[in-house]
Amino acid sequence: MSIATRFAENAGLNESPTFPLRVVDGLSLPPDYRKALRPGEEWNDLNGFPRQLPRYFYEIPSWDSAMKVELATHFLLWEFIQVDVREAAPLRTFPRYVPCAITLLAVCLERFREAVGTLVHISANGGYRSPSHRFSKNATPHAWGTAANIYRIGDTYLDNRNAIERFSLIARETLPGIWTRPYGTPTGYAEDHLHLDLGYVLSVPRDVKS
Amino acid sequence: MTKREAPVIGATAITPRERTLRHQIEKIEKESGVKAIAVALRDFETGLEVHYHAERWFHAASTIKVPILLGVFAAIDRGELLPHSRVHVRNRFLSVVENIPFRVESGRDSNSAVHNAIGKMMRVDELAYHMITTSSNLATNLLLGVMGTDAVNETLRELHLDKGIELRRGVEDELAFEKRINNMVTADGLLKILVMLAEGKAFSPGLSRRMMDILHGQEFNQGIPARLPKVARVAHKTGEISTVAHDAGVVYLPKRKPYVLVILTEWDPATAGRSRTIAAISHTIFEFLTQAPLDE
Repeated sequence: MSIATRFAENAGLNESPTFPLRVVDGLSLPPDYRKALRPGEEWNDLNGFPRQLPRYFYEIPSWDSAMKVELATHFLLWEFIQVDVREAAPLRTFPRYVPCAITLLAVCLERFREAVGTLVHISANGGYRSPSHRFSKNATPHAWGTAANIYRIGDTYLDNRNAIERFSLIARETLPGIWTRPYGTPTGYAEDHLHLDLGYVLSVPRDVKS
Repeated sequence: MTKREAPVIGATAITPRERTLRHQIEKIEKESGVKAIAVALRDFETGLEVHYHAERWFHAASTIKVPILLGVFAAIDRGELLPHSRVHVRNRFLSVVENIPFRVESGRDSNSAVHNAIGKMMRVDELAYHMITTSSNLATNLLLGVMGTDAVNETLRELHLDKGIELRRGVEDELAFEKRINNMVTADGLLKILVMLAEGKAFSPGLSRRMMDILHGQEFNQGIPARLPKVARVAHKTGEISTVAHDAGVVYLPKRKPYVLVILTEWDPATAGRSRTIAAISHTIFEFLTQAPLDE
């Protein structure tokens, strides 16, 4: 049975044959959401290159549904949307919105989980976070829904060079095109988690008409 | 002792009993081997105030968490935070010295609950509770990270509590410590905050009560409460590093109004007897306030 079908049966939500959550055009959202999500806008990355933010989002009606939606066999949607008080206020209450490319990240993480053979834990603020999140200084793939910060794999905390570099290597060998943040303390490095991302991927589901 | 205009020990117009109290504190100071002691007292029952070296600055150690608690509730009062707002538990902080990252050593936190939540989230009220009751340094830095040092200092200024409190950084910032960039307090500075909390005047009676409830949960009771009768309830915060040991709190006794007591002490690192000294001063003050005067 497919993930989508399982979800549809369990959650009683939209029984879309492709995905159980409704796709919304960010430009059609109320002003406070548009201000926080900045759909389709350009945003410069750390090197000053302009990147176009996602325009299309999946609408998550409730935490209950986030707990039920399987993005991959071992990854539920809620794991990708844990944000703290630093996230823009409208985006901390439901309905919430997550870029459609989140499904690609989930598939990559599932493949990564197969490679490491154990649980992969995404940290709070380590999945999708909006461009308005207080951690989002420059265009970060987290705002595209294509980046994950992993703080723990199985019983191993990724808070030291050895653990981070070991699992970083596995990620790069397993996932073609994946980028991992090198170990270290300067800006652009990480020393208390493994950051991996797919880059600034924009996903436009076939349901989208415009 | 009758109620009167808050007399100040150390000033000329003090009674013989108050002079005796001063001599008792001096005696404890002399016998303990402590480098410096400061005591500040406000008794709501008698109106008595004691200010014994109360404007001397000390390294705050963990007593700085009381002003930080005030800052948390200021943010709640402003609607910027909710008690159940969630905070990412991450053990990575930036030193005030060149923004160099540092971590809070798990072995130095007596409470493992916050460290066990690394990678996850905890509620603001949970962190505040751990910050005070078990003096969690990780919880402290997380809360300060959410609010910012400037915001807490602004709160202190707005409440006219900034004189006697210098909040300059988070805790366990060793690089800052080496450069003598420290959080500092005076006994009078902490006294003013605790008086405001005890009077229910910090933001609102409800929020003041919630802060007092957290202070009542204190688990380190070797200082002010140690030699008080069991019926005494003490809402307090301790602080200790190699060179200082402090305790600051509000003492509630049956059939009388509470008193606010701050005891700050500074030591040579090798000298023992810190808690015993604080407990002795606390006991002396308790006896002074509760025993009927013979000379008045």
